Amino acid sequence: MSTTMTTKSAPLIGEVRQKRVDWGKILSYTVLIFFAIIYAGPLLMLVNTAFKTLPSFMKDAVSITDSLNFKNFTDAWSRANFPRYLTNTLIYTVSATVIYIITAVFVAFPIARGYVKHANWILTMFVIALFLPPALIPQFQLMLSLGLYNNPVGYVLLFLTNPIGIVILVNYIKSVPKELDEAAALDGCGYFRFVISFIFPLIQPAIATVAVLHAIGIWNELILPTIYLTSQEYYPITRGMIVFQGVYGSNWPTLAAAVLIMMLPMLAIFLLLQRYIISGLTQGAVKG
Amino acid sequence: MIGYHFGRGRAKWSPYLLLFPGIFIYLLIALGPSLATSVYSFTNATGIKGAPIEWIGLDNYREFLFMGQASLDNYAALGRTLVFCFFVTTIQFTLGLIVAILVNQKLKGTNFFRTLFFMPVILGAVIQGLIWSLFLYPLGGPVARLLEFFGTSSEFFGGQPTEAFAWVIAVQIWANMGTTMIIFISGLQTIPDELYEAARIDGASGWQVFQHVTWPLLTPSVNTNLLLNIIGSLQAWQLFLVLLGYRNGTQVLGYLVYATGFGQTSGSVTSSFRQGYAAAASIVLFFLVLILGLAAQTVLQRREERILG
Repeated sequence: MSTTMTTKSAPLIGEVRQKRVDWGKILSYTVLIFFAIIYAGPLLMLVNTAFKTLPSFMKDAVSITDSLNFKNFTDAWSRANFPRYLTNTLIYTVSATVIYIITAVFVAFPIARGYVKHANWILTMFVIALFLPPALIPQFQLMLSLGLYNNPVGYVLLFLTNPIGIVILVNYIKSVPKELDEAAALDGCGYFRFVISFIFPLIQPAIATVAVLHAIGIWNELILPTIYLTSQEYYPITRGMIVFQGVYGSNWPTLAAAVLIMMLPMLAIFLLLQRYIISGLTQGAVKG
Repeated sequence: MIGYHFGRGRAKWSPYLLLFPGIFIYLLIALGPSLATSVYSFTNATGIKGAPIEWIGLDNYREFLFMGQASLDNYAALGRTLVFCFFVTTIQFTLGLIVAILVNQKLKGTNFFRTLFFMPVILGAVIQGLIWSLFLYPLGGPVARLLEFFGTSSEFFGGQPTEAFAWVIAVQIWANMGTTMIIFISGLQTIPDELYEAARIDGASGWQVFQHVTWPLLTPSVNTNLLLNIIGSLQAWQLFLVLLGYRNGTQVLGYLVYATGFGQTSGSVTSSFRQGYAAAASIVLFFLVLILGLAAQTVLQRREERILG
């Protein structure tokens, strides 16, 4: 009797379960979609506006554009002096990141291995800067007295250091087996060549993480160019954008196109290297 | 020098030699200037090349803290910094946690949501600010329409100082919630699935699971996020620069340091290059960050010991 009951009722329960609405799931998606609107809305508005004509924007700011008006992009490109600003930003970002990474690995490697005396003290010295007052004002006085004010070389110099990057590199290098050093040294490999031809390739994921974080920081920097670069020919894209906003502030279609042009390289890097960016942020946050 | 195999004699010095450039640059442009900030705060340094710098003792601090209207303005900026910190930290923390839990479920499309919510973080203040200036376009922009629909309105960044300030808080949270979310997600992923299964078998409700499994085991990420949010929001001011400029009634301490040190003209407010004074202001901000940071750290550590033993 009891066995027949269970065999009869079991599929029934299964059916009920399948048909029952999963409220948790619905609630989750509702909340996520609500947030997605807040996050994607401003971006969609930007894209939409970038393709509109000024009269159509003035008439109705939110209507979907009825034409793909690429003139905004060509206008922004030529009038905003974009080729110049973008080239500047690119030069600053690439040169500072490359120099920083090379010097940083040569700092991180001997610290991780204990090949220099007081390795832990040196590392602490790097970390401590994160907790000290901002360097802004004495840094300015220094640059002024070195004659590096309004000088692109001086500007790049400001980005040749990044303590969190050192911490990330040290931690990663510690996972590379030390036996490798011995083996290479026994084969007659010198210190410099060893770091360049063995360590650099082996720690590529950490280098990618640090390089991407560092480069994004330089690309987005607004305060330092405002302080240090007064000649328009040296402006990076961030500063150029603010100038452009001052002139074209009411012409939103052109301004939106300019923002979109400035945003695209960052967006591409983000979508390609998301993994490295996220691992860098979480490591930096936890260790720092 | 444990186990160094790359030669003896002169070859032993190569690690030092190659370490030097990195350390030198760091000392020159980061650690040195950082330590020198307190020294400059006792001088009347300006931003003019070759101008004499005199030692004026505590005058900058006296002026900043105890000199009539100017110091009242400074206290107002300090108060605003705390208000900004409070709202940004609490809201960003809460939303970041909710979103992290939601996208950490086994649901379709969570990767898309995760990417979308994190994206603003990498865009930087200029783009973040301009995107929101457009989205909050007062003459028939989407948010203006929505408010109109609900029978209200806002002048957004062009409105009264308090109103404009509140919108900057909103943009700051929008821009940085992704970092909070990512740190929470990495914390959530360290919680073993067996614990959730055990709780489910015991018949715990969703809220009970959160209360007794997720929340206590998330303690390390909670601490990291709270500290990062508190310290970060006390020092953040770039969005103010992009969205509002140096406007009376909206200044926070970080912006005040910059504006007094490097000159900033906006409407009726004009300031000069008073770098000694700005250094003193930045030391005040530093102590604010230090005190609140240490207090938070102490409270959080006690809580962690209580929970995780």
